[in-house]
Amino acid sequence: MEAAVLVIAALLPLVLQDYLTIYATRVLILCLFALSFDLVWGYAGIMSFGQAVFFGSAGYGVALITRDLGVTSMLIVLPAGLLIGLTFALLLGGFLLLGRHQSSVIFVSLGTLTGSYAFDRLARGWYYLGGQNGIPSIPPMSLGSYDLDEGPVFYYFALGILVLVYLLCRFLVGSQFGLALAGLRENEQRIAFFGYRVQRLKAIIFSVAGAIAGLAGSLYAFHEGFVWPNMLGVVMSTQVVLYVLFGGAGTLIGAVIGTVVIEAVSFWLSNSYQDIWPIILGVLLLLVILFRPAGLISLIVSERERVGGFGRPPKA
Amino acid sequence: MANLFVALFEIMSFGAIVVLVVLGLGIIASMMGIFNFAQGEFVLLGAYITYVVHNAGAPVWIGMAVAPFAVGALGFVLERLVVRRFYAAPIVAMLGTYALGLIIREIVRGLIGGLYISVPEPVGGSVNLGAMHFSSWRLVIILITGLVMVASYLLLSRTAFGLRIRASLENPALARASGISTNAIYGATFAFGAALAGLAGALIVPVFSLFADLGLRFLIQGFVAVMVGGVGSFAGPVAGAGVIGTLSAALPWVIPPVIADVLVFVIAIVFIKFRPQGLVSGKGV
Repeated sequence: MEAAVLVIAALLPLVLQDYLTIYATRVLILCLFALSFDLVWGYAGIMSFGQAVFFGSAGYGVALITRDLGVTSMLIVLPAGLLIGLTFALLLGGFLLLGRHQSSVIFVSLGTLTGSYAFDRLARGWYYLGGQNGIPSIPPMSLGSYDLDEGPVFYYFALGILVLVYLLCRFLVGSQFGLALAGLRENEQRIAFFGYRVQRLKAIIFSVAGAIAGLAGSLYAFHEGFVWPNMLGVVMSTQVVLYVLFGGAGTLIGAVIGTVVIEAVSFWLSNSYQDIWPIILGVLLLLVILFRPAGLISLIVSERERVGGFGRPPKA
Repeated sequence: MANLFVALFEIMSFGAIVVLVVLGLGIIASMMGIFNFAQGEFVLLGAYITYVVHNAGAPVWIGMAVAPFAVGALGFVLERLVVRRFYAAPIVAMLGTYALGLIIREIVRGLIGGLYISVPEPVGGSVNLGAMHFSSWRLVIILITGLVMVASYLLLSRTAFGLRIRASLENPALARASGISTNAIYGATFAFGAALAGLAGALIVPVFSLFADLGLRFLIQGFVAVMVGGVGSFAGPVAGAGVIGTLSAALPWVIPPVIADVLVFVIAIVFIKFRPQGLVSGKGV
């Protein structure tokens, strides 16, 4: 399954026209973003309605680094984006998840949602960050004297990073740590009785996911060439929830497939049915939640994938 | 002095609007344990129905009278078809109602386009006290908010129906064993909450004008208000709404609006973090 998706993804730029390759690159970056949300919600059961905070703030961060410091080297900006995502996730996650009181699921989801809304408002109102218009015309990323422009090369670069992060996530969720996370999702109290520090586990995975979202955000900023407040806001945060729920939370490949399917259909419909597409999306989402809570992926992969197996790689 | 009174009036009328919007949200959250993400869109629908009725040539107030019943009926149907399946899982309920809200919002957006449509106030003009002018419509909103609050309180605390609602909340199994159809009660409660949202939308549309994201604007504010006030009681969300509404109307007079807006949320989240039970702890009415 995963191998088949990878082969298709690797061959895609050979058959697509250039503008479609650029669109596909964006989808790959969004897949990376979806993976980060899948880790927190699908595996650890933390509802983060504010994943875009890390995505967007990293985007803004690297945009500022290139604008004010003139640095475009990918060896600096990508780690910087990762660090920004990690830092914000540590701060927000640490505040929401740690502490004497056990945080309720509702509190965490509303807290992240509110955080996303607040960042959005701040970015819109702050002149230094460009206000409503965001920061336009970010120069391309560079490696030495080579500029990474959008196109097939960027596509393969994004694909490489996605595969790398995907493998990392797969290792993570296959480890004992990942198994504890899945246990957290299924029955938090029981995991606590086993002696795990539940809150700390949650904060760790939240931060790791924040770092991944930050990496995705900085890639996105350079690929699009500009950042704007929507990247931080509730719209983007809920968008990623849609991707993962649609594809299937709790399986890594589900997040990727959900993103690709939604973005592909959206692209296909956007010419002729721009107005009704969000309505269709809402209806589809509702149907998936009602009748296929495990997402599209559950049509192909068995429920056991969600539980994972310690020690050996899961089948399919 | 006169300025101070005008400012106080502005703050109070905005506080009343937030209370009105939050009331339905709070009742559904407290009595059913569901955070209804579609509540903002119920507000939007109330506003839209008022606009449609007005557009058809009828006086505005007829639209305002129709809106709560129409939205309440829709809420009843939606509860039957969709929301009912979510009671066991609060997070799934959030996502499901979010999807419902998305559908409603985008349909309304398709109907009105990206426009801001103004709807006239049924009671125009202003009340003058010396040199001070108070908008009559805002006075009416404050008044109706007070009435609705008292009426909802009485309904929940003094009637047999309210008793059944509270019984279904506190111990559903025992309520069913006592011959109360909890399903019917949940349906009615949800419809009631939706109707309140519809009324809120109808009343505030002359103030904010009609646009597709009208509900979204209040949704996060409403949730934060419910959490600050405390889930589980009637008084909690109302108190929370009063605090949040007052703060978000008062702070922009003192500090820059953007910072004020964000600051209110930050204060609220920090408050909830250290006092998860909210302003008013305890269950019941």
